[in-house]
Amino acid sequence: MLQIKNLNTYYSSIAILRHLSLHVRQGEIVCLIGANGAGKTTLLRTISGLVPSSQGEILYQGKGLLGLAPDVIVKMGIGHSPEGRQVFAPLTVMENLELGAYHRFGRAEKPEIQGDFERVFQLFPRLYERRRQIAGTLSGGEQQMLAIGRAFMARPKLLLLDEPSLGLAPKLVEGIFQAIITLNQEEGLTILIVEQNARRVLEMSHRGYVLETGRIVLQGSARDLRDDPDVQRAYLGKDYAQVAER
Amino acid sequence: MNTIEYTPLNELLQLQVELLQSTLNRVYNRVPSYRKAMDALKCTPEAVTSLADLARLPFTTREDLTANYPYGQFAVPLRDIIRLHTLSCGVSNPIVMGYTKQDVAHRQGLTCRFLSASGVTADDIVQICLDPGMAFLAQELKEAAEAMGALVIPPEPMAVQERLRILADFKTSTLITFSSYLQYLFAELAESGMHLANLSLKRVVLLDEHLDMDAREEMEREFAVDILCGHGILEAVGPVMAYECEKRNGLHLAMDHLIAEVVHPATGAVLPSGEKGELVITTLTTKANPLIRFRTGELTRILAEPCVCGRTTWRMEPVYERTDGLVQVRGLNISLDQVEAFVRHGLARLSRGQVSKAVPHVMAVRKERFLERLELWIAITDEFFAGSLPLLHDWLREMEMDFEDAFGLACRMRPVELCTLQPYLNQGLRVVYL
Ligand SMILES: Nc1ncnc2c1ncn2[C@@H]1O[C@H](COP(=O)(O)OP(=O)(O)OP(=O)(O)O)[C@@H](O)[C@H]1O
Ligand SMILES: [Mg+2]
Repeated sequence: MLQIKNLNTYYSSIAILRHLSLHVRQGEIVCLIGANGAGKTTLLRTISGLVPSSQGEILYQGKGLLGLAPDVIVKMGIGHSPEGRQVFAPLTVMENLELGAYHRFGRAEKPEIQGDFERVFQLFPRLYERRRQIAGTLSGGEQQMLAIGRAFMARPKLLLLDEPSLGLAPKLVEGIFQAIITLNQEEGLTILIVEQNARRVLEMSHRGYVLETGRIVLQGSARDLRDDPDVQRAYLGKDYAQVAER
Repeated sequence: MNTIEYTPLNELLQLQVELLQSTLNRVYNRVPSYRKAMDALKCTPEAVTSLADLARLPFTTREDLTANYPYGQFAVPLRDIIRLHTLSCGVSNPIVMGYTKQDVAHRQGLTCRFLSASGVTADDIVQICLDPGMAFLAQELKEAAEAMGALVIPPEPMAVQERLRILADFKTSTLITFSSYLQYLFAELAESGMHLANLSLKRVVLLDEHLDMDAREEMEREFAVDILCGHGILEAVGPVMAYECEKRNGLHLAMDHLIAEVVHPATGAVLPSGEKGELVITTLTTKANPLIRFRTGELTRILAEPCVCGRTTWRMEPVYERTDGLVQVRGLNISLDQVEAFVRHGLARLSRGQVSKAVPHVMAVRKERFLERLELWIAITDEFFAGSLPLLHDWLREMEMDFEDAFGLACRMRPVELCTLQPYLNQGLRVVYL
C-alpha cells in the first residue's frame, strides 16, 4: 500500500532521513521505533506532505506522493494524527471531529459521516460525554482520543499515528491502543505508528522498523524485534547487565 | 504454504532493498573489516539505493572470513551469540560462524520451508543419513523436521546395512542425504535383495545437486520415490539457500534471506540473469555474521522468469561446477590445481625436459548411468610430441595408471588438438560435464 524508496528529507540542508526505504502492506499495523530525534516524526510529516524538501520516492497505492500538497494527500486517504495531540483548542469536540471530515462534505456523504461520528463515540465513549466541551479544556488523554478520532473522520485508508501514548497514564494508554487495534481489525485501517512505548507497540504490530539517526538499522516481524537483544537493550529497557557483553 | 514464496516479485525486491540497506547500516558501524573495505571503495551505506548499486560494494571471500578469526566478523556482541560453528578449510584459521537466537530461528524457518517444498509433512518419518562431518547440518535438519511435527530418526553414524534395516523396519518415508551416499545406499539396497514393497520410502531429499535429471529419473523409476534437491553453502542462511519445488526446474532462492548475484569469475562484473557465472551471496536477515557479496566459488545461472509452480522467487540452476578448483566426483574432492601439476609433470616426462608454462587441458566428467567417469583432455602440441605414435600410447597408459594412484580414481587420458579445448579455455572452464 505504501512504498518508500531511498527517502532523504532535509531541514535547511541538514539531512534528517537518509536513504530510508520501508513499506506497509494493506491491513498491516507497522510500527517505527527509535530514540528521540531519530527522525520518526519527520518521516510521518514527510509522508503527509508537511515537509517539502525531500528526495526519493513515496508511493501510495502506486502513486507518487512527493510534491503533493497536504490536503491532496488527505483526500487520497492518508490520515495523520500528529505528535502532541494537536487539536483545535477553541473549538468543541464535535467541531473538531467535523473538521476532520471537512473534505468529505459536499460529496453527499451525510449519512456516512453521521455513522462515523457514532463510530468515534463508540471507540471513545468519553468523547461522547464531552462532545460539547471546548477541546482546549480536555485532559491530555481525551485530547489524544480526539486527535485520533479526528484523523478517523477523514475516513483514511492509511492512518499515521505519532506517539499516541505520549504522556498518558497507563490505563488511558491501554484504551488508546485497544481503539487502534479495533480500527485495524474492524475498520480494516492500515496503520503506521510511531511509539516510545516499544514493548506495547511491538505487541500489537505485525512488523516494525528501528530508526537510528535517520537510517533504518533493523526491521522484521514484531516478534523478531521483541526478541532482538539490540532492541531489548535500546528500547525495551532490559537491564544492561542482563544483556551485556560476555 | 509459505506466503513469502508467493509474494509478488516487486514486493520481494522492495523488501530486499530495505533489508540490504539496514544490513549495510549495521555492518558499516559494527564490523571494522567491512567498513574498511567499503571505505577503500569510497562506498558508504548511503550509496546503495537499489539492488543495482550492490555492484558498488566490495566482495567478501573465504580468505576474508578466515583473516578475521575468530570473532572479527561478528556484527553483534558475543553475548548475543547462542551457537558457534567452525568450518575448517584446510588452510590457516578456520572460519567461525556465530548465530544469534534469531539467526537460529530464521535458519529453522527456512529449513522447514525447504522440507515442505520437498513434500515433507507432519505425517512423515524422516531418516537423516549424513556423514559425521555434516553433523551441524544434520542437527539443523533434525530440529526443523521435528518442529514440523515429523518423526525424526536421528542421524547417528552407523553402517550402511544398519541404515537399510532402519529404512525398512522404521517405515522411513523421507530420506535426507547426499547424492553419492544415496547411490551407495541404493546400490546396497539392490544387492541386498530387500523387497521394495517392504519399504515405505516416498521421497529422497538431497542436499546437493550432483545427480542430474536423467540419473534421478532412472532412480525414481527403479525405486518408486521422488528425489528433490536443496542447495546450500556452509557460510550462509541455513542448510540450504535454494530448493526445488515439485516442478523441479531450478532451485527457488530464499529471496527474503539473501540476494543472489552472478558475476564473471575473473572480472567480478555482474552478469545479467540467465548468464552463467559465479554465484555471489549477500545475506539480508543474518544478524551475527552478515555476508556482503560473498564469493561462493560456485558456477550457476539465475533464472528470473516465474516458475510454473506459482512461487514468485527467482531460481538458480543446479551447481555442477566451481571456480575455486575443487571438483566433486563420486564423493571425492579433486583439486584442479593438483591435476594441473600432474599434467605438467607427465608432459615433462614425455618431452624429456622441463615444462614450465601452463599446459592446456580440461577435465571432463562424463555420467554413465549413476556413475561419473573422468576424462582428462590434454592438448598435445609439437613442443612435447616428436611424432612416435606408439610412444604416445605408452605414455597415455602410464598417465592413466599414475592418475589412479595419485587421485584414487580411474581417469581416461585423451590427447586432443588445442583448437578442441579453445572454446572451454576461452570461457575459463577447467572442467566440463558431459
Ligand atoms: N522544523 C525543524 N527544523 C529543523 N530541524 C528539525 C525540525 N524538526 C525536527 N528537526 C530535527 O530533526 C531531527 C529529527 O526530529 P524528529 O522530530 O523527526 O524526531 P523524532 O524521532 O520524532 O523524535 P522524538 O522521539 O523526540 O519525537 C531532530 O534532530 C530535530 O531537532
Ligand atoms: Mg517525534
